[in-house]
Amino acid sequence: MRKMFLLAAKDLRSEARAKEIAPPMVLFGLILVFLFTLNFPPGAGQAPVPGPVVGAVGSRELAGAFLWVSLLFAGILGFGRNASTEREGNRIEGLLLAPVDPAALFAGKALANFCYLWTLEAVLLPVFVLFFGVPAGLLLPGILLVALVANVGLAAAGTLFGAASQYVRARELVMPLLLFPVIIPLVLGAERLTSSLLTGGGLGSQSRWFILMGAFDLAIVAIGAVAFEFIVNE
Amino acid sequence: MSPLTTARRSGTGTMVLIALVAVGMVVGIAAIFFWVPTANCLVPGVADGQPCFDARPDYIQHIFYMHVPIAYVAYLAFGVVLVGSLAYLKTGRRRWDILAHASAEIGVLFTGLCLLTGMLWGRPRWGTFWTWDETLTLTFVLFLIYVGYLLFRGLAADPTRGARIAAVIGIFGFVDVPLVHFSMVWWRTLHPAEVVINPAGPQLPASELITMLFLLVVYTGLYVALMLLRTRLGRAEEALAEAEAALEERPPPRAHVAATP
Repeated sequence: MRKMFLLAAKDLRSEARAKEIAPPMVLFGLILVFLFTLNFPPGAGQAPVPGPVVGAVGSRELAGAFLWVSLLFAGILGFGRNASTEREGNRIEGLLLAPVDPAALFAGKALANFCYLWTLEAVLLPVFVLFFGVPAGLLLPGILLVALVANVGLAAAGTLFGAASQYVRARELVMPLLLFPVIIPLVLGAERLTSSLLTGGGLGSQSRWFILMGAFDLAIVAIGAVAFEFIVNE
Repeated sequence: MSPLTTARRSGTGTMVLIALVAVGMVVGIAAIFFWVPTANCLVPGVADGQPCFDARPDYIQHIFYMHVPIAYVAYLAFGVVLVGSLAYLKTGRRRWDILAHASAEIGVLFTGLCLLTGMLWGRPRWGTFWTWDETLTLTFVLFLIYVGYLLFRGLAADPTRGARIAAVIGIFGFVDVPLVHFSMVWWRTLHPAEVVINPAGPQLPASELITMLFLLVVYTGLYVALMLLRTRLGRAEEALAEAEAALEERPPPRAHVAATP
């Protein structure tokens, strides 16, 4: 447990000096949120929610999906970079020689990714509220709970598949191809919950999505902790 | 017994199986076209012998005798990927990896066919080739996950590590399936309910049930035959790679002075 925090602290400290993961990630996320919100008519965020018409999707419902797609695309940049720093100069071999369990290595990396996601969200969420013009009171504090549940699974999946894609040719291409299909339950859940918040539905009626996302988190953390040694060990 | 004789003998067994599957396919197709009654709707709630949504006989429904066994083989194949991957990580034996790899290829093929036959039915029945129904979406996600798996195997730099990582992907891909399933169910659904596996017993007339079960057996045979062929190819690929590696390690033979006229 302590080793996990040490390893994560090592990642974050080197990032604090190099500043090569979080700034590009946040900037890319900003560009995406800007591009997505640009497509809505002005004032779409304040517009009343449309009634229950089949096939009609309100701007606010769509906005929740766009927010998560932006976060995901920006997040994957960070996951890939965080994994590839260990490959450069074979730093991973030094880590493997240290008396550290591969599971702790996985947890440490995932914790660092988890922190990057929060950094990303700390910037993107206010900007989203600003650009889209949606009342911030609708999102807070529920969105923090949604982000917490989503970030655990995203960080763990990003760590596992980020490490896996280090050992193939064309790794920048392979990682999203492996990652995106498997995290669909998580992304759909986060989108649905955020849309529910944005349309004033709250989270109470949507608790089953939390169960689903929690199940995903458990599965990916457990498999990641057990399987990480098969990926990084020689 | 020499390895060659073993190979030849297993080859004979495979050929017999392929012949049986071919005959079974012909019989199954004949049953679909000539034996099974038409104008009998698979949609629950519609009385026996009644047309589905219009007055024409429901010929389209016959595609289910192919669609259902294909879908079943796809799930079976991905189940075998899971078993092979787990066994490979546990034992490190190459043959488990070859098994998982072969099964993933066949699974992707059958998932693709399942999507295709489903679309052919969906166009006249639902009026659209594709809809965001939960079962369709789940099948499509399965397709994506295992195409990614195969792509990964093709691009892996180091075969041993690549096989280990692929096994991890194969395992997580399968664990993910029920989660994706529920996320799709809660989104929305349109897919016909299961009529064979039903708590109230099979909801099909005898001729339809027999045809369906018969084709399930034939398709299982097809899967086994394809697996036998593909795993044999996998072993041959492996032997070739080993032979090439051994050849590279050996010092180059002394150049014979070839008298060229």
